[in-house]
Amino acid sequence: MNSGQPKYGVRAIAAREVKRLLANRLYLVCMLLAPLISVVFFLSLMHSGLPTDLPVAVVDLDRTSTSRNLTRQLDAFSQTEIVQHLNSFSEARIAMQRGEVYGIYYIPEGFSVEAASGKQPKLSFYTNGTYLIAASLLFRDMKTISVLAGASVGLQTGVAQGKPTAQIMGQLQPISIDTHALGNPWLNYSVYLNNTILPGILQLMIFLMTVYCIGIEIKHDTAVEWLQMGRGCLFKSLLGKLLPHTVIFTIVGFMMCAVLYGFNSFPLQSGWLPMLTAMFLLVIASQAVGIFMIGVLPTLRLGLSFASLFGMISFSIVGFSFPVLAMHPSLQALSDLFPLRHYFLIYIDQALNGRDLYYSLGEYLWLLAFLILPFLIGKTLKKALLYMKYIP
Amino acid sequence: MGNGYRLSNRIKEGIVDVFYIWKEELKNIFKDSGVIVFFFLVPFAYPLVYALIYNNEVVHEAKMVVVDDSDTYLSREFTRRVNATPDVHVVSVCKDMNEAKQMLDEKKAYGILYFPSTFSKDLNSGRQTKISLFADMSSLLFYKAFLLAATEVSFDLGKEYVSELHPAVSQQAEMIKIDPVPYESIALYNSQMGFASFLVPAILILVIQQTLLLGIGMLGGTAREKNKLHTLVPSNRHFKGTLRIVLGKSLSYMVLYAVVCIWVITVVPRLFAFPQIGNPGVILLFLLPFLAASIFFAMTLSGFMTSRESPMLVFVFTSVILLFISGVSWPKEAIPEFWRALGCFFPSTPGVQGFIRINTSGASLNEVADEYRMLWIQAGVYFISACIIYRYQIIRSLKATI
Repeated sequence: MNSGQPKYGVRAIAAREVKRLLANRLYLVCMLLAPLISVVFFLSLMHSGLPTDLPVAVVDLDRTSTSRNLTRQLDAFSQTEIVQHLNSFSEARIAMQRGEVYGIYYIPEGFSVEAASGKQPKLSFYTNGTYLIAASLLFRDMKTISVLAGASVGLQTGVAQGKPTAQIMGQLQPISIDTHALGNPWLNYSVYLNNTILPGILQLMIFLMTVYCIGIEIKHDTAVEWLQMGRGCLFKSLLGKLLPHTVIFTIVGFMMCAVLYGFNSFPLQSGWLPMLTAMFLLVIASQAVGIFMIGVLPTLRLGLSFASLFGMISFSIVGFSFPVLAMHPSLQALSDLFPLRHYFLIYIDQALNGRDLYYSLGEYLWLLAFLILPFLIGKTLKKALLYMKYIP
Repeated sequence: MGNGYRLSNRIKEGIVDVFYIWKEELKNIFKDSGVIVFFFLVPFAYPLVYALIYNNEVVHEAKMVVVDDSDTYLSREFTRRVNATPDVHVVSVCKDMNEAKQMLDEKKAYGILYFPSTFSKDLNSGRQTKISLFADMSSLLFYKAFLLAATEVSFDLGKEYVSELHPAVSQQAEMIKIDPVPYESIALYNSQMGFASFLVPAILILVIQQTLLLGIGMLGGTAREKNKLHTLVPSNRHFKGTLRIVLGKSLSYMVLYAVVCIWVITVVPRLFAFPQIGNPGVILLFLLPFLAASIFFAMTLSGFMTSRESPMLVFVFTSVILLFISGVSWPKEAIPEFWRALGCFFPSTPGVQGFIRINTSGASLNEVADEYRMLWIQAGVYFISACIIYRYQIIRSLKATI
């Protein structure tokens, strides 16, 4: 009597699901390999935090020691590398169109003479705005060097007039700004992007896997057998089926946290618990959304299409690169429908800024609220599982 | 004589077969709602969705609070001017930093501008004064908006103040004193440094490649499921030549994607007024090898798809990786060697680079010669690999019939 597994109940279904997971290579690829590849890719890609040595062309028509000194100083910045010295702006523009440089620094003819005699020669610099990150970083370096050029000329004339340095700086740059990027003072892009991209990949794979593991039961005509194991109770059947997924994805999610906050020592002001909780809630919220998707579109291919499209859009609408507040108000409301959005807001409050838990409560509740979704679609899904015939 | 007859006959037969297969594949596509989703719905809707999300291009009126320990005419004027810039909106003036930080905690603001009590005193005595800017890093664009606005105001206000305080003999002498070397900065091809103009063109190219990959992969998976012998090729007398199958099928994808490309590449950018200065003829010439490479690439990979769902499970997440490997956001010079080499296998890598430079920066084929050559090489290599895959499948299906 005790031999073999019990044929009914949550545990039996879970055991059945584990067998199914092991039998199909697709599960291995999607649950473990895809997250692993993504983690390795994104963390090695942005390993340096900021891209360094971005290529710049210099058009130096002055050709004096002053202008050469200026170029050397620009080259010394870690983000900038001068790769070409050209004789005209049009040559430099072609280099830009070839993708060889992202920026052009232009020093006009007679620059040093005019600067020394107070004729206010103008320095110009150009960035290729189609490469936003490169352009922003080069803008910063080229602007700094231009300000410094002005300051050094000003200092020279000022010193020649016998003024103290403090007073000259007070004239050249009366108001200076001391910037503090809270939580990420290095403006590290890996911190900035990967804390959301990687959980985003996880969310996408959870959507797909949840839809797939339920849809494939319909496709292969095994749904009835599965439901019978749960004695016809959809809740129990789903619980048993998805529990192994929950365990695996939670472990994968926690590993991601370990790599981000442990191995890479990214900011974790809140300590581990708030983020691990958020990660766990992200996993089960995404599973709930996945159930909803296959419930709405119980055909495997359409359910999966829904999951892919929704999962991909979340990378944009979550607002970690382009802020949600800058989007159209209707899109701002729409962004609440993505579990990743709430995870992102928790991350900002907890890990990045170490705010009081009180400020994130709403977002935790949002993630929990996604768990209502399966109950809304339960009836439709059960009908589909019992009566739908797969049409190829 | 007999040989000549046979050859011409074979060519004729081949052409007939190519068109037969072309027609069959088109039928297959239109019968399959899953494929329709990826060949039509996604290329139609996705660019619109992305364009809508990023439509505002830049951050306007980023919310900021001010802590003014100086509380003088100058600090108030500074605040007023920062508020007047299009980028920043000062939501309130707080009495101390604690109150300001709480505003940040409650997301009522994303930045703090702090004036120390010595702000005006320093300025009045001709010393450099320092103000502090704190930015919430939930978005780099907020930080950028705050920094640009504050820098601009500090520069203008500082200049005006110094010239008032120490009037020089002439206006020119004054300018030399406070601004000996003026500078100008220009963002070429995307003058407002807009987010949509930067990212959407790359997404457009990626959408073309990825939907082809998913659609063709799905067709391949379906064929494998349907044909009773689980081979990619049906046992039908028209499906006996490798070249015919590969040419016939690719022709049907090419025809459909010519239409898709018109929408994605010409209509969408115009709809949202993205910068597009590229010559349409050049864009067309560039897209030709890109489409060919993507199609043959997808046909090659479709040989490995054993079920119709597997492409969606396996390929979708690669879109995020391919976007970064293409070098549009993370500069290609900063991509580690290994990943750059891997990127060479995907048509999207040279496709995105070349398309952006032609479309947005107005390059000619000369300037994108490397990418153009790479795409033709990929098209050639993947054509051969697609032929090999299909040849193998034909042999399998023949063997199975025997």
